[in-house]
Amino acid sequence: MAELTAFRFRTGASLLHKLDVRFKLGFLVLISLAGLKAAPLALCVITFVLIAVIIDTRLPIKVILKELRYFLILLLFVFIARILTTPGSTLIQIMAVSVTREGIYDGSLVCWRLVIIITLGLLFVSTTRTSEIKAAVEWLLIPFPFFQGKRVATMMSLVMRFMPLILDQAKETADAQRARCVENRKNPLYRLRKFAIPVIRRIFESADKLAVAMEARCYSENRTDPWLSSGLKDWVALFVVICLCAMIILI
Amino acid sequence: MIIAEQLRMTVYASLLAALTAAGAYLAIPIGPVPIVLQNFFVFLSGLLLGSRWGFASVSVYILVGACGLPIFSIGRGGIGHIMGPTGGYLIGFLPAVYIIGLISEKGGQRVIFDIIAMVCGALLVYAFGVPWLYKVLAGKGMTLQKALFVGMYPFVPGDILKIAVAVPVAKALRPVIRVPGSGFRIPS
Amino acid sequence: MHMNIIEIENLSHRFPDGTLGIDGINLTIQEGTFVVISGQNGSGKTTLLRHLNGLLLPDRGTVRLSGVSVSKDLVKARQIVGMVFQDSDSQIIGETVYDDVAFGPENLCLDRSEIKRRVYDALKAVGLTGLAEQRPHLLSGGEKRRLAIAGVLSMKPRVIVFDEPFSNLDYPGIRQLLEQVLSLHKAGRTIVVATHELEKVITHADHLVIMKDGTVVRDGLPDEMVKGVEAFGVREPYNSRPGMEIRSWLN
Ligand SMILES: Nc1ncnc2c1ncn2[C@@H]1O[C@H](COP(=O)(O)OP(=O)(O)OP(=O)(O)O)[C@@H](O)[C@H]1O
Ligand SMILES: [Mg+2]
Repeated sequence: MAELTAFRFRTGASLLHKLDVRFKLGFLVLISLAGLKAAPLALCVITFVLIAVIIDTRLPIKVILKELRYFLILLLFVFIARILTTPGSTLIQIMAVSVTREGIYDGSLVCWRLVIIITLGLLFVSTTRTSEIKAAVEWLLIPFPFFQGKRVATMMSLVMRFMPLILDQAKETADAQRARCVENRKNPLYRLRKFAIPVIRRIFESADKLAVAMEARCYSENRTDPWLSSGLKDWVALFVVICLCAMIILI
Repeated sequence: MIIAEQLRMTVYASLLAALTAAGAYLAIPIGPVPIVLQNFFVFLSGLLLGSRWGFASVSVYILVGACGLPIFSIGRGGIGHIMGPTGGYLIGFLPAVYIIGLISEKGGQRVIFDIIAMVCGALLVYAFGVPWLYKVLAGKGMTLQKALFVGMYPFVPGDILKIAVAVPVAKALRPVIRVPGSGFRIPS
Repeated sequence: MHMNIIEIENLSHRFPDGTLGIDGINLTIQEGTFVVISGQNGSGKTTLLRHLNGLLLPDRGTVRLSGVSVSKDLVKARQIVGMVFQDSDSQIIGETVYDDVAFGPENLCLDRSEIKRRVYDALKAVGLTGLAEQRPHLLSGGEKRRLAIAGVLSMKPRVIVFDEPFSNLDYPGIRQLLEQVLSLHKAGRTIVVATHELEKVITHADHLVIMKDGTVVRDGLPDEMVKGVEAFGVREPYNSRPGMEIRSWLN
């Protein structure tokens, strides 16, 4: 769960904090897509830009790295898997396993891209209130009458609200069952069932209570519109990002 | 009381989207490939919410992930991930949940139909996921054969297990979720 | 001052499974009073309260708020009667304290500046102004309860209903909550508290209602009635015994 606590809004007054959320969402999409196939040189460019932005936003890097440690371990696995599975000219041979030059190259590239994608998400979420994200989604869905923007926005914030509840509940139930020696049962079917039913039932019960509380506070899909505003700096930023993406693709 | 019913389904659909997201973190270490519960909750969304609300639930899940939250497979997120090699599975969840909901509704929520529904759903996920995997990695020596070997076969035992568990779980939870004739229960 | 804000006439409610929740209740509550509803578990307190803002609708009988039937205008009823539920965790809707308090006014389609004013007034009234940006699930139990109150206050209700407000609170938490409730009462609101812990509120009440098996068995002035409450499964406040004066929990 630690990974998710890293992904939350942090108050600040940086440029990124001040930009309009709709633009930021656009930047996120543009850079992620451009970075998908980026060559090493382009990755360098993105990395430098990201480092500059991180410094400007003053994110607590040490804390975040600590919170993301499981992700870093995962990254290591991805790297090792790449090294061992990519064919090519052998560098080191340990018994049947060979480490190849192409493997190292390929692995680093894949991991580098992953880090960039995670950092993009982190920057976006850390500098944007969830209420703003909701507002942006609502705004984006205006042209699509098929989707009710307000409902989708409500659902998104409910998802965010339920996540910690679910993980707490799952942990509590797992602990309670471990205390009663569930580990002696080897049948995974039995264990999964005995775990899932009480957890989900309890979560649904608390969702029921939430629905009632929402009703008591006059829940309606016809609610006050969110507040969004854009200015000159958003358009300047958009221009810079488009140039950056063009460069990434062309390099 | 129509509004109340709608509100309840909205809350439940969000809850299942959150469960799907949490499912990407809840891995059960059994066998060579740990069982990730993400698609288990997609199955469950179809069974419990039906086609329309199930579809809404999975869409919201993908939307939240697309906004950069790391809720796709183990700690990843963002639009880039959807476009990446494993994005096909995510997109495949959408038709899968719809079909599961549809078959289960049409079959009157009988066990045999629930199983058929989930098998169809699981196959649909692979029908999107594997060719996508092949397509994205085709330049890197990926063959369709190999795509099946890394992208489908290792997960089949886990899927069978999940289907086997989803049946009793859905059966136990349906009465909790739909209280006949009342828009409201006093939670005790 | 002697206007009847709530009038309940011959109210009955049967649950879909056939349980008779409440049966033939008659009760009037005057504006500006402090009412305590007591009774043992399952006596129908929660069921009764949920009729006050239309979360449950009567099978028989009527509930009127300043003369208007609740079922006529549910939104209006929910605005007049704010409800604070027993489980404060599951009535928190927003992801930040601010968003949560803003939820009600947004549903009423008020404009942004008015919402902001109401949210800050409500947070100030419960002493949570400094925590506006905090995530609610990180608050303490007492703070969560006060947040729930703020969420209701921002809708400017005339009546505030508390269902078991003291459960899960420690001694300082109970005192703080009690002070909060009293200050709301002083500001002119009608307060209805359902609790089986009579001793915590009885000294401040103007009106005591005892329920048993879904009916009202006693209805009157607290001083005259505390003596007989144990017959209905409610513990008599310990210092109402002979020779002792009932003291407030606040002294
Ligand atoms: N949704 C429901 N379906 C069926 N019966 C119900 C439901 N909710 C409550 N009841 C029953 O109605 C009766 C009154 O319940 P209620 O919750 O109003 O009591 P209460 O006085 O609030 O009790 P407590 O002190 O435990 O909160 C109980 O017998 C209860 O079992
Ligand atoms: Mg109760």
